[in-house]
Amino acid sequence: MTTWTNARGAPALAMLAALAAPAGPDARAEPLIWGIQVEQAEYRLGEDGDVAAWDFDAFVGTDELKVVWRSEAEFAIDEEAFETLENQLRVQVPVSTFFDAVAGIRVDTPEGANRVHAVLGLHGLAPQWIEVDADVFLSDHPAFRFEAEYEGLITNRITLTPSIEVDLPFTDDAPLGQGAWGPKLELGLRLSYDLVDRAVSPYLGVYYERVFGESSLLASREGKDPGAVYFVAGTRLMF
Amino acid sequence: MSYGTPARAALLAAGLGLAISSAAAAGTYDLTVDYVTIDTGDFTRTGIGYNGASTPPVLRFAEGEEVTINVTNNLDVDTSVHWHGLILPYRQDGVPKISYPGIRPGETFTYRFPIVQGGTYWFHSHSGFQEPDGAFGALILEPKAREKYRYDRDYVVQLTDAHPHRGDRIMRNLKMMPDYYNRQQRTLLDLIGDASEKGLGAALSDRADWGGMRMMPTDIEDLQGFTPLINGKGPEQNWTGLFEPGERIRLRFINSSAMTFFDIRIPGLKMTVVQADGNDVLPVPVDELRIAVAETYDVIVRPREDRAFTIFAESMGRTAFARGTLAPRAGMEAEVWELRAPPLLTMADMALDPAMAGMDHGAMMMEGDAASGHGAMMKDADLPPGAHRMPDGSIMGGPGEDPFYAAGSGVTPEPAMKHGRFLSYKDLKAADPLYPDREATREIELRLTGNMERYIWSINGVKYADAEPIRLQYGERVRFKFVNETMMTHPMHLHGMWTIIDNGTGERDPIKHTVSIAPGTVVYTETEVDAPGQWAFHCHLSYHAESGMFRKVIVEGGPTTDRAALAPASGG
Amino acid sequence: MFLLKTIPALAAAALLATTLPAAAVGEHGQGGGAGKPGKASQVTRTIAVTMYDNYYEPEAITLKEGETVRFVITNKGALVHEFNIGTPEAHVAHAPEMQMMVDHGVLEPDRINRDMAKQMQASMGHGMHDAPNSVLLEPGGTGEIIWTFPEHAELEFACNVPGHYDAGMAGEITLSH
Repeated sequence: MTTWTNARGAPALAMLAALAAPAGPDARAEPLIWGIQVEQAEYRLGEDGDVAAWDFDAFVGTDELKVVWRSEAEFAIDEEAFETLENQLRVQVPVSTFFDAVAGIRVDTPEGANRVHAVLGLHGLAPQWIEVDADVFLSDHPAFRFEAEYEGLITNRITLTPSIEVDLPFTDDAPLGQGAWGPKLELGLRLSYDLVDRAVSPYLGVYYERVFGESSLLASREGKDPGAVYFVAGTRLMF
Repeated sequence: MSYGTPARAALLAAGLGLAISSAAAAGTYDLTVDYVTIDTGDFTRTGIGYNGASTPPVLRFAEGEEVTINVTNNLDVDTSVHWHGLILPYRQDGVPKISYPGIRPGETFTYRFPIVQGGTYWFHSHSGFQEPDGAFGALILEPKAREKYRYDRDYVVQLTDAHPHRGDRIMRNLKMMPDYYNRQQRTLLDLIGDASEKGLGAALSDRADWGGMRMMPTDIEDLQGFTPLINGKGPEQNWTGLFEPGERIRLRFINSSAMTFFDIRIPGLKMTVVQADGNDVLPVPVDELRIAVAETYDVIVRPREDRAFTIFAESMGRTAFARGTLAPRAGMEAEVWELRAPPLLTMADMALDPAMAGMDHGAMMMEGDAASGHGAMMKDADLPPGAHRMPDGSIMGGPGEDPFYAAGSGVTPEPAMKHGRFLSYKDLKAADPLYPDREATREIELRLTGNMERYIWSINGVKYADAEPIRLQYGERVRFKFVNETMMTHPMHLHGMWTIIDNGTGERDPIKHTVSIAPGTVVYTETEVDAPGQWAFHCHLSYHAESGMFRKVIVEGGPTTDRAALAPASGG
Repeated sequence: MFLLKTIPALAAAALLATTLPAAAVGEHGQGGGAGKPGKASQVTRTIAVTMYDNYYEPEAITLKEGETVRFVITNKGALVHEFNIGTPEAHVAHAPEMQMMVDHGVLEPDRINRDMAKQMQASMGHGMHDAPNSVLLEPGGTGEIIWTFPEHAELEFACNVPGHYDAGMAGEITLSH
């Protein structure tokens, strides 16, 4: 289940070795900060088949520069195949009080066609505590992605987290079921409980995804439903 | 546990050795730095202690003594010992990379310096997070002169905020998620409560104000989940000091916490504050006092009844309390009180944040002013004892508002006892001014700044790693202007030289080693630059210091030998 | 230097006499309380008391019941100090009055501000009295009290400048047969 924690952080560390050299005139070597934040490690129960999914960031770096390994996957249980398997190596640099600029590379290796993109984006905290990611993916199949998440405290241990993700392909990518300007929308609502500090927070929730426009037509042509609702159970992890 | 009756001046017979102070008593002391097991009653963990014990040791030196202290590092990492508040040659100050390289595993470092002052101080590791992990102890320096107060018993009351997590893990968690440890955030349930109290519109708009700034009014303690200890004992383990009714007891409060301010009271007893940060002050009887991280306060209490009294120290954010007991007989207990409601920061606490300057906080500020209940709004019947209305309508006497907190601040101390007196910096007057009161030769502005979301703390917007040292000239008197632009309270500690807080008392401005700067306030301090060498200067909240609210101070010029460097201070 | 070094219970007594009538002098009657002012002709001995910051020398005094004593008090400290004969309860009760003098700027750490004392008198209508059981001295000042002690009493001499009593500036008076 937790194979992704066998981190392949080596490239990230190698990059940092070069970058973390103290720069200040009176520099003390600031220790490297690292962490793993698993936003989703969940099982999705759906009408048209179940899915195991993860979404995590593993990072190492300093205040000035972080290297992030971001991984997202959806594994269809029946098909025994990755519908989504996306790994990004991102470098984050602060550009304002609350936002980082992001540059990196994204490698998609799901079942079927593979894709490699360059990544440019922004990551940070918008007013009213909304965590935001906005990324442009540059390749033969460019796309834009916007993600937002809000942690609503019911109590100091019970959190209701609504989330939204919009993927907007700029070109057709038929093998991946994407039509130009046909967005994919993902909505989540997860109710978590902080079981062990903030390290382990199991949750229950619902997850809805749907494609629109050209992408929707592609789905229909393949006899797939453009939208699906899942009941999800999983845990957030942070260490 | 008792530290026994005071051995006042016992060691000082040799102090009359005239010109050559090394003719005075000379003591050799040994300290080992060890991994120890800390048992707070709530949890047990491995921490760091001295001489193999988790109870912080008490070292007693005598003014005039030449001490030799052998510190042996039994850890598997470097360590150091900093003598907090002591006037000494900078190479003996114990800050790695500033005073000396530190002490390697397995090595013994020998400190040698003369004791040139009296009072209550403490010592701690200045390496990594060893101090939060338990590496600290108390220092009692017996003064040469007879003390200005009388007591029959003498107890150290050393507070800390022992945490189940190791310091480096706490730092990492805070960097990863600044509110990792904040379990007092406002929730949906609070919103419902607020809405029923002041209407949904007002409640939502208040949330929107704070959310718009991405700040939290509950952000008073970065670190929660700790167990406060007194002399190594948790609230259940109940450290107890014994007394005979009618005796005067000197309590030496030392706050060795990593992050936690405490509001201390002993219900049923007045505490007469006689010393702050090792320097005598004109005695001030109070009901309660707030001790910032790294500060010390000595108080005299005199229980006349044959019963137990609880030493009750609530954390400023009201998430936990330390508890000890003064009792005529071992095993006696007194009432343990409920924590008071946690405070909430107000817009007054960020009044100095330039980013917020454009916002309209009018309504909230007025609310704050009303809450302070000052001036004409106060009815005579509500006047505290000792206070009365003057012919011009103003109120004289009694506890007034505290100029060391922003008007309407959410963290202004409120005495637990109605009309009780809470110690303020404005009450502190030096009993023995060390220096003539003279005009400062220059002013240095230090804005206390930070980025809470990134957990970066800084001075003038620059963190330590990127900062040039502060250069002072030997012989000058520098006036520091602290402007707290953050919403947290920062206990600023300058090593090696005294910090004279300008509280308007003039020549009796109190002399301290740590000055606590509340949010939304400007505080002036002055320092006679009389110690050559290089020194650390930092916020004493461990995780603020480590994340950048730190400077190296270089004193240029002045005598070059260590001995000569001490002359001005020892003459005072 | 100040012209007037000796302020026999100046403003302290003012408050004492108006707001705490006879508390320190003994509201249980002159004989049963702290005693009463004595006559110079009855003095059987003279005791010199020196005040320092913040303690007395001597720190305890033993007297005979009913004895009349002349106290010659010198302030060798750097602060204003008081020598006040009373019961422990009276000293405790006296403290807020002294605090008020501090709050009004009458009592500064090392001097008595006579201008402020006058203002305080004007604004609060408190008159200036002499309290025969106490003397308040600026640094370097000397003063004198002649006091006739009662038969039985628990008495202390104490300094009620705020904080001083609590810090231990008090001494026991033992009355022996």
